Amino acid sequence: MREEIQRIQRLMEREHYVTDRSIATAVYLALALEKPLLVEGHPGVGKTDIAKVLARATGADLIRLQCYEGLDATTALYEWNYPKQLLHIQLEQGSARPLAEREAAIFSEPFLLKRPLLQAITHEGRAPVLLIDEVDRSDEEFEAFLLEVLSDFQVTIPEIGTVRATRRPAVVLTSNRTRELSEALRRRCLYLWIDYPSLEKELHIVRAKVPGIDEALARSVTAFVQSLRRMALAKTPGVAETLDWAAALVALHAAELDAEVVRETMGCLVKDERDLRLVGAALDAGDLPAMLTPLP
Amino acid sequence: MTSLPGARLTLAVTRFCRALRDAGIATTPAETIDAVRALALVDVTDRDEVFMALRAVLVTRPEDYETFAALFDAFWRAPRSGEARRGPPRPAVRPPGERAPEIVAATLQRWARVADDSGAPPAALPAPSAHEVLATREVSGFGDAELRAIERVVARMARRLAMRPSRRWRPASRGARLSLRRTLRQGIATGGVPLDLAFRRRKVRRTSLVVLCDVSGSMELYARFLLQVLYAMQHAFARVETFAFATRLSHITEPLGAPHYARALERVAATVRDWSGGTRIGECVAAFEAHWRRLVDRRTVVVILSDGWDTGDPEVLGRALARLHERAGRVVWLNPLLGAPGYQPLTRGMQAALPHVDVFRPVHDLASLEALLPHLSL
Repeated sequence: MREEIQRIQRLMEREHYVTDRSIATAVYLALALEKPLLVEGHPGVGKTDIAKVLARATGADLIRLQCYEGLDATTALYEWNYPKQLLHIQLEQGSARPLAEREAAIFSEPFLLKRPLLQAITHEGRAPVLLIDEVDRSDEEFEAFLLEVLSDFQVTIPEIGTVRATRRPAVVLTSNRTRELSEALRRRCLYLWIDYPSLEKELHIVRAKVPGIDEALARSVTAFVQSLRRMALAKTPGVAETLDWAAALVALHAAELDAEVVRETMGCLVKDERDLRLVGAALDAGDLPAMLTPLP
Repeated sequence: MTSLPGARLTLAVTRFCRALRDAGIATTPAETIDAVRALALVDVTDRDEVFMALRAVLVTRPEDYETFAALFDAFWRAPRSGEARRGPPRPAVRPPGERAPEIVAATLQRWARVADDSGAPPAALPAPSAHEVLATREVSGFGDAELRAIERVVARMARRLAMRPSRRWRPASRGARLSLRRTLRQGIATGGVPLDLAFRRRKVRRTSLVVLCDVSGSMELYARFLLQVLYAMQHAFARVETFAFATRLSHITEPLGAPHYARALERVAATVRDWSGGTRIGECVAAFEAHWRRLVDRRTVVVILSDGWDTGDPEVLGRALARLHERAGRVVWLNPLLGAPGYQPLTRGMQAALPHVDVFRPVHDLASLEALLPHLSL
């Protein structure tokens, strides 16, 4: 294995992010090839954390752009500070300065509100990590705009001119796949699909993230969640849910899992009314044996 | 695998990309270049690392992971066996477009024939005698006028669905909201006094449509009409995905999009393999949920065209539909039988489906299609 990849894996593990080789390789290549990394996967498998941990591990600043429906270039890139401009115009009213000069004054950098994308481009010092979270929630128009920004990291502000990034930020995009992203955007990025972790990996994550958890409890919690994932639930619990649940059990001083404890705390894990009933029925029927017989 | 000199490595990667393309994983030249660059960055003596690196660069969706792995295994074998020089092995995966020579069932032709028939009036009643009449009629060109009429109604439908205000804004010469940005910009010319007001207005949002059409035996009677509706929808809406199902789900957006109706029919007939078979609506909706869920979001209207005769498990249908309903903007079930006097949606499938359906309407002729208009909005 390439030493740099091992280093990335170590750095991320140090931040309590349990990686595997495919994640470490993708992150390494994204950094080395200076390409954005598109991470897709089910909710709660730790997509967003990749960017956060990467920023922490490398000591870079994290700039986050949360996408939502209706997000547009103004909110993502920059906006003029209108109230400030208005005030300035009022103050300047009596002044003898020529119009052009006055206009240049209010359309200069102090009047500019930098939104995440522009922040990432104009960031001083070390290249930041730019997290574009849940791209699938934005619409196609924004995606097209994003593509443009990501391809050369320069932005033209008509009143000021072209701003170019001195250092290319490391870009991580995440998507829950609620809609298919455009082919163009996919091709622009390196791609990483994160599946639900294996039992071993998830156990590893629980141990790393829930300090003070009893080994036996960690094992049965993980096994239980893994068996839930095999059920046809509307909202399959992710790793985030496993961790919430494990933390709740630790807080409740539960030493082991039994049907009653599970029922009381199931809200951490199953977040859909119909699913709750399904899991409840399975518990009654004893169909979830993973929790009753502790694993060796 | 041993380290290859640069030129050979490039050649091998190029070949591999071609093999991927043959297997249906499209790669661009830019990606091929990236793949070569990536291999220079990783340890090429480590097979796993090469695998992960190439996958990160060349594959862009999880559905392709398996195909990629199979091809990788076949392609990147240790070169000492001399196999690598023989060029890329043909993939085991069947390339898209090339179909196993499957026998087109006689029923399929019947469907197509009924669909092509122009002489018959639109099937209105599910009487068995009418069925006989339609099924035995000869092909004699098809009803252009009727198709035009359907297209007109569907076009109105499309406009109606498209009329949704979005959260985005666009500049407008007049409107409800002031555009502060432009007003200020213009105001500079008058010393900061905003003489000319600029406005903005909500954009109109595009709705997308997913159509699932039952093509099982019990629907044969309405074939011609429904195919015309499907064709018209495919051409009227900017964003529509169409599927046909009986016992399995077929994606027919592409063939249905052919420029001429007759041509589209031909291609649809060649794509769908289980015309006029039994119906397993539940399994088909579940299959849609499993593989195509990304097509459905809150801005999607899902239209299901079926009579609800289901030979599968009604519970499967209920569950699948409930999930679909959760994410879709609207679920519309159009049932041709509903137009028949005295029909009650009592089949078990229909009963399981109804709680998860927003609109339940008949559709069997032009009039019923038109009557649908007020019910179709997101």
